[in-house]
Amino acid sequence: MRLFEKFKAAETTRALLEALPVNPTGVVIEEVLSATEAVVGGRHTIMAGTNNYLGLTFDAAAIAAGQQALAKAGTGTTGSRMANGTYRAHLELEAELAAFYELPHAMVFSTGYAANLGTLVALLGEGDAVLLDAEAHASLFDGCRMSGADIFRFKHNDPDGLANRLRRLGERAQNALIVVEGLYSIRGDCAPLREYAAVKAEYGGYLFVDEAHSLGVYGDRGRGLVESEGILAETDFVVGTFSKSLGSIGGFCVSRHPELALFRYASRPYIFTASPCPSVIATTREALRRIAEQPQLRDQLWRNARCLYTALAGLGLRLGPHVSPVIGISFAERDVALRCWQGLLEAGVYTNLILPPAAPDGGSLIRVSVTAAHTEAQIERIISSFENVVRQHAAGGCTV
Amino acid sequence: MKLDHSAIVEELIRLLEAALGRRQAMSADTALIADLGLESIQVIEYLCEVEDRFDLAIDEDTLADVQTVGDLAAVVQRLLNG
Repeated sequence: MRLFEKFKAAETTRALLEALPVNPTGVVIEEVLSATEAVVGGRHTIMAGTNNYLGLTFDAAAIAAGQQALAKAGTGTTGSRMANGTYRAHLELEAELAAFYELPHAMVFSTGYAANLGTLVALLGEGDAVLLDAEAHASLFDGCRMSGADIFRFKHNDPDGLANRLRRLGERAQNALIVVEGLYSIRGDCAPLREYAAVKAEYGGYLFVDEAHSLGVYGDRGRGLVESEGILAETDFVVGTFSKSLGSIGGFCVSRHPELALFRYASRPYIFTASPCPSVIATTREALRRIAEQPQLRDQLWRNARCLYTALAGLGLRLGPHVSPVIGISFAERDVALRCWQGLLEAGVYTNLILPPAAPDGGSLIRVSVTAAHTEAQIERIISSFENVVRQHAAGGCTV
Repeated sequence: MKLDHSAIVEELIRLLEAALGRRQAMSADTALIADLGLESIQVIEYLCEVEDRFDLAIDEDTLADVQTVGDLAAVVQRLLNG
């Protein structure tokens, strides 16, 4: 096979997407107006397809902290955490994350992807067994694969399936790693974490939870689903990202295991990349304070989430099983999903369109997300736009 | 009870029909992806059904060379026979 021949499939995919009236992977945010508004296609648009759950991307204190760090420490670190890339602020953020979770150890990575990759490749190796949810994020799968461990998949959100696989592993189960997410990002469904913790208690193993979409969203103090489900003590590794509720970019892992400190010497995705730039660290630290100090942001987020979920369910749309700030709407027909998504965009509402094979069930899906910063009027406009597109494009049979 | 290759193929086809939600002519030579058009998530869920049916743990690497129902039956047979 010639070197570039492998791109034929990608070329076909691109041609299909470019033939659509609007390419869902080619949307350009022309101007950002606020945490919830932007100019898209020359149109003032409500952003209802982001991960900005607490609306902190325009937090005044975070912006001021970022500007100050930029002026004082420069645009970038230009080096690895293991060389010239560890500034005092990186260590302070790690200490703050550890204190936030009331755990002794924390480690900061340059992206959320690198956090999953970096922890998994450090933790796992050839001969180890890892149990991975069927709908786990690509970064989790990539980390497991890159580690060389034996990967056993179990059906999405299926504690019995997990238990069966651990049972079949026999003694290996004692050292197996169970890898799941908290809130899943496409359908907005939550992992049965308490059941997983019970399975772990019965068969052994270690529990690794990716809280990328749950941090700041769940728990009295915003520490994610592990907090709201009361299993923080049973969780061995919590991984998260700065690029969602914290509104910047980067990732982290916290743990009660002292070996986490040794990951720095064993994790190639941690070692062989530049550390997060000072302004990113500064805005992240400020946003983390908002999560801890302003539970009213979470209250507002959930008011918005409940309002939107209830209204969309009332339209007869098929939604994910749990009320959450992420609402996945399943469509039986790809073209209907596409027309609805485009209709929403033309009405000034940006959502995410997920076409086969990217959707978890292999179908087509529109993902809507709300933030604490959406106003009542914006939520109403999202709902009325959905009413219009459903009436126009999907009446009498849009759902699966 | 030991199952021979053809009995495993038959059972794998039965599970495939259940996963696809339709009856379809299949044999040991049927390719899971190329012939049936299974999406990756459907393949994972199907394999979970196979593991549960035969009470096996099949890691992803073991499946690297599996393309057809017959290939999968050979893996299942090998694991069943220890």
